[in-house]
Amino acid sequence: MTDHPQKQKWTDLATKQLKGKSPDTLDWMTPEGIRVKPLYTAEDLEGMEHVNTLPGIAPFVRGPMATMYSGRPWTIRQYAGFSTARESNEFYRKNLAAGQKGLSVAFDLATHRGYDSDHPRVVGDIGKAGVAVDSVEDMKILFDKIPLDEMSVSMTMNGAVLPILAGYIVAAEEQGVPQEKLTGTIQNDILKEYLTRNTYIYPPTPSMRIVSDIIGYCSKHMPKYNTVSISGYHMMEAGANSVLQTAFTLADGLEYVKAALATGMDIDVFAPRLSFFFGIGMNFFMDIAMLRAARFLWHELIKPFNPKNVQSLMLRTHCQTSGWSLTQQDPYNNIIRTTLECMSAVLGGTQSLHTNSFDEAVGLPTNFSARIARNTQILVQEESQVCHVVDPLGGSYYVEALTDGIISGARKIITEIQALGGMAKAIETGMPKLRIEESAARKQARIDQGLDVIVGVNKYKIEEKPLEDVREVTDAVRVEQVERLKELKAKRNAVEVQKALEHITRCAEGDGNLLEASILAIRARATVGEVSDAMEKVFGRFVATTQCISGVYASEYGNNTAVIDALRKRSQDFADKEGRRPRILMTKMGQDGHDRGVKVVATAYADLGFDVDISPMFQTPEETAKMAIENDVHLVGVSSLAAGHKTLVPQLIAALKAGGGDDIKVVVGGVIPPADYEFLFEAGAVGVFGPGTSIIDSANQTLNVLEKKHG
Amino acid sequence: MTVDIDTSVNGLLNGNRRILAKTITLIESSLSSHQSLAQAILDRLLPHTGKAVRLGITGVPGVGKSSFIESLGMLLVGKGHRVAVLAVDPSSTRSGGSILADKTRMERLCADSRAFIRPSPSSGTLGGVARKTRETMLVCEAAGFDVIIVETVGVGQSETTVSLMVDFFLVLMLAGAGDELQGIKKGVLELADAVAINKADGDNIEKARRAQRDYETALQLLRPASPNWSPPVLTCSARDLTGIEDIWSVVLKHRNIMTSSSELDQNRRSQSLSWMWSLVEEGLKDRFHHHPEVQHRLPQLLRQVESGMLSPTAAACQLLFLLDKA
Ligand code: B12
Ligand SMILES: Nc1nc2c(ncn2[C@@H]2O[C@H](COP(=O)(O)OP(=O)(O)O)[C@@H](O)[C@H]2O)c(=O)[nH]1
Ligand SMILES: [Mg+2]
Repeated sequence: MTDHPQKQKWTDLATKQLKGKSPDTLDWMTPEGIRVKPLYTAEDLEGMEHVNTLPGIAPFVRGPMATMYSGRPWTIRQYAGFSTARESNEFYRKNLAAGQKGLSVAFDLATHRGYDSDHPRVVGDIGKAGVAVDSVEDMKILFDKIPLDEMSVSMTMNGAVLPILAGYIVAAEEQGVPQEKLTGTIQNDILKEYLTRNTYIYPPTPSMRIVSDIIGYCSKHMPKYNTVSISGYHMMEAGANSVLQTAFTLADGLEYVKAALATGMDIDVFAPRLSFFFGIGMNFFMDIAMLRAARFLWHELIKPFNPKNVQSLMLRTHCQTSGWSLTQQDPYNNIIRTTLECMSAVLGGTQSLHTNSFDEAVGLPTNFSARIARNTQILVQEESQVCHVVDPLGGSYYVEALTDGIISGARKIITEIQALGGMAKAIETGMPKLRIEESAARKQARIDQGLDVIVGVNKYKIEEKPLEDVREVTDAVRVEQVERLKELKAKRNAVEVQKALEHITRCAEGDGNLLEASILAIRARATVGEVSDAMEKVFGRFVATTQCISGVYASEYGNNTAVIDALRKRSQDFADKEGRRPRILMTKMGQDGHDRGVKVVATAYADLGFDVDISPMFQTPEETAKMAIENDVHLVGVSSLAAGHKTLVPQLIAALKAGGGDDIKVVVGGVIPPADYEFLFEAGAVGVFGPGTSIIDSANQTLNVLEKKHG
Repeated sequence: MTVDIDTSVNGLLNGNRRILAKTITLIESSLSSHQSLAQAILDRLLPHTGKAVRLGITGVPGVGKSSFIESLGMLLVGKGHRVAVLAVDPSSTRSGGSILADKTRMERLCADSRAFIRPSPSSGTLGGVARKTRETMLVCEAAGFDVIIVETVGVGQSETTVSLMVDFFLVLMLAGAGDELQGIKKGVLELADAVAINKADGDNIEKARRAQRDYETALQLLRPASPNWSPPVLTCSARDLTGIEDIWSVVLKHRNIMTSSSELDQNRRSQSLSWMWSLVEEGLKDRFHHHPEVQHRLPQLLRQVESGMLSPTAAACQLLFLLDKA
């Protein structure tokens, strides 16, 4: 490699400006393990295979299409859904009128997990984190006056994917639209559910069969429909850095390809209908490079299967900006963050995009925040003039070098996963989840130390003035859904429904196509819960294995251990006085599957000298209370992010009392709108720790409460 | 913690879960005031103990102990038993704190009102674990639980300790890749009343059968602890619920044989004796380390022995002699 003729001169100048230090001291090691230098030159790109290719042509680094946005801009596709189908439908239609191009449906957690709205395990979940759908009747209302032959609809559904996809097909059919005309995407990416998203229902093996059944059915009957959206977004939001996100996502993709091939399908029949979904964070250049690297690697991974259709090798993707990067503190900053992330996604060449609302860390978007979020994209698309040129950063020394860094980092991990026997096997070992959780714990430790700056949270903090306009979904939605279920069950032909459900169960035992069977049942007005149950009889319900990392949070403090030591001393002093360490039960109640926070807090508290019990996921308040009482913990830490807190926390406190555990304190963390703090304190909680709370602070406050009590 | 002994005793005998939990906390406490309270309660409870089946389960981390207990436990409560599970977690971090996640693998059992599960951090001495677990077991018996399962990780000494407090000691194993007996401590097999190869499911069934034969051979080379019982080797899947019922039958069969040969009683009596002796040893050590004179003299004597100025024997004599001074 020959150096740039001016390189020596630059080094001298830089050294002088650094008062004698070498410019190497400016190098930055990213969380991905990529060394970033202060200057890149043409020499850095020597020998890189991906450089100097053209868009629309393999290996597609510069974009899947030849003309990209210069021909047609990306699709603005905002993810939304809340409350009842009627309310969501109104919201969709307003947004479409205001410039949104595609629909993307967010279902509530009861629906995701295959429970009808009248199930006892979901009282805190109905309509809260998405729209409640119990039957095709709800589905028809959801798409009322939205012509499904023209509108491309994306649906985030993985667990209850069969009854929901069937519902969509039947709703279209009753609108007069035949299934072969349907365009859009079903997420149907079950592997990442076990890894990060936690809305699985059945164990992996039958779930993979469901994925294959859907791919099989759609490739025959719905040629324009994307059958899997292989998602890295959730991994990023759970804590994965960009190399992990790329590696695990592509490895998931490869697993689906193998599963489909194993059913005897030809690669070109289904591979062109696989799409991707990536998350875009605040490291501006990194995620531009990530999208380019992902396209390169997908081509490399699929090539060995010898597809004839070039579309099989092409990675097309939806993107979403990072919700995790958005803060409850100083919330209008979030508009700026989202704009930066939006630019990253665009410069990386996404095919469609969701931009988050500034009230992300408080609740579901309001009409106003949703408008600003949508306009963020519209401004970039229609005012900024960035669309004229394809891959405008192609040839940037830095971006090309980063692209290479991600390609080689991710390739290494993918090889490791292949050695374990593929992603399904790797997930069984727990390796990918632990890597993500480790990455999340390190990130939290860096934020708590102020090493990673988050404006408003650990730097430039302001006097809080909480957002006033917050969307709240009340219990009235559950009541209405339960009522509608009763009506539905009274009107339908019970015998026909029963027969259709039994047919599903038989299919599950044997080998009929489960989507075909589900369509028959949904058409007969079977509910989402009934269809799910019909399969659960055979498949069982999956129970996650919770593994925990330890020592990572503290180790990220390096030699800078003063705060850690101080807290360890406090826990030890407590133990000396009380006869045991402070003991906390960290719990998730309801169908809320956000486990990043609970895991980070648990591992950090253990590092700080607490004894930390962890409950299984999806507990009822009574189950959590029983565990707290038996383990005799000092306090229960409720992590609540899906808006169930106002229902579940009072129920927990009542259950503790009923079981004689009135001395057990309750603290609540997660997405709690500031307006609800008072409610929770009144209900009996002794601490509320919202997004952005430093774990060191919450541990100190928790100990204050315990010491006062035992005083 | 304010505790009234009568209330505790009555509550326990009535099966009050909260009082049971609180009493275990007293037993586990490092404060001597708590411990003497616990002793007072235990003394009153002793006549009501001894009726449960005491089952110890060991195996390397990840072998499936917690999952196995979930499956066995659900089977047993289904048969009308009341099951208490004591899980000793060694996952203490350098901070002294620990993460107790066993219950995440016992999702159904821990929600069941017929079961009581108590995971305990092992912080402190190993002897401490033994005392605490043993006494906790007794309290659970007094509270009406008729099957007590103790989960312990097969590392260090804890499996020996636990085998000395149960009637039946089950060792869970995994089928490896051929070299079955490598890396397994012989000592653990000597303690076993039965060995079960877990995760005998899916592609693993054949491998598990092979492991079963290998262990059978290995066990034949050991002298059984009882002339009336040769430890069998079984296979099971905690995940698919196969082989669990068989293992329970083996436990019952063992119990019948041991009862009719009076070995069950003999065992428990000799366990009591060895428990007493270990308490004496632990107490002596404790007294030694807390003796003010010892604490005062120790640093200097240590230095002298280290530098060769004093023989270890002479130093030990001097230190022990200090105990005799009031
Ligand atoms: C990450 C994330 C995800 C990830 C979750 C990954 C995972 N495995 O956890 C993914 C992408 C999978 C996801 C999915 C969904 N999400 Co989400 N998600 C978020 C997001 C962006 C960040 C949450 C987070 O992890 N933060 C980082 C952790 C460390 O913070 P934390 O949990 O708040 O904990 C901190 C403090 O609260 C405190 N703390 C927390 N708990 C406790 C407990 C104790 C005892 C103590 C002492 C302290 C403490 O300490 C921590 C450190 O500061 C939030 C929005 C936001 N910015 O908060 C939305 C959000 C929670 N999600 C939301 C929704 C709707 C969903 C979905 C239901 C969407 C859908 N309809 O499909 C799905 C389904 C998820 C499910 N199964 O439940 C909504 C919930 C709406 C509401 N509450 O009204 C939010 C608020 C976004 C929004 N505004 O729309 N999500
Ligand atoms: N395939 C299979 N996996 C199992 C079985 N039992 C446990 N596992 C898995 O093995 C892992 C460890 O189980 P766990 O019960 O926590 O083991 P412990 O550490 O011995 O208590 C978990 O991922 C379980 O899901 C089984 O019988 N078959
Ligand atoms: Mg265990």
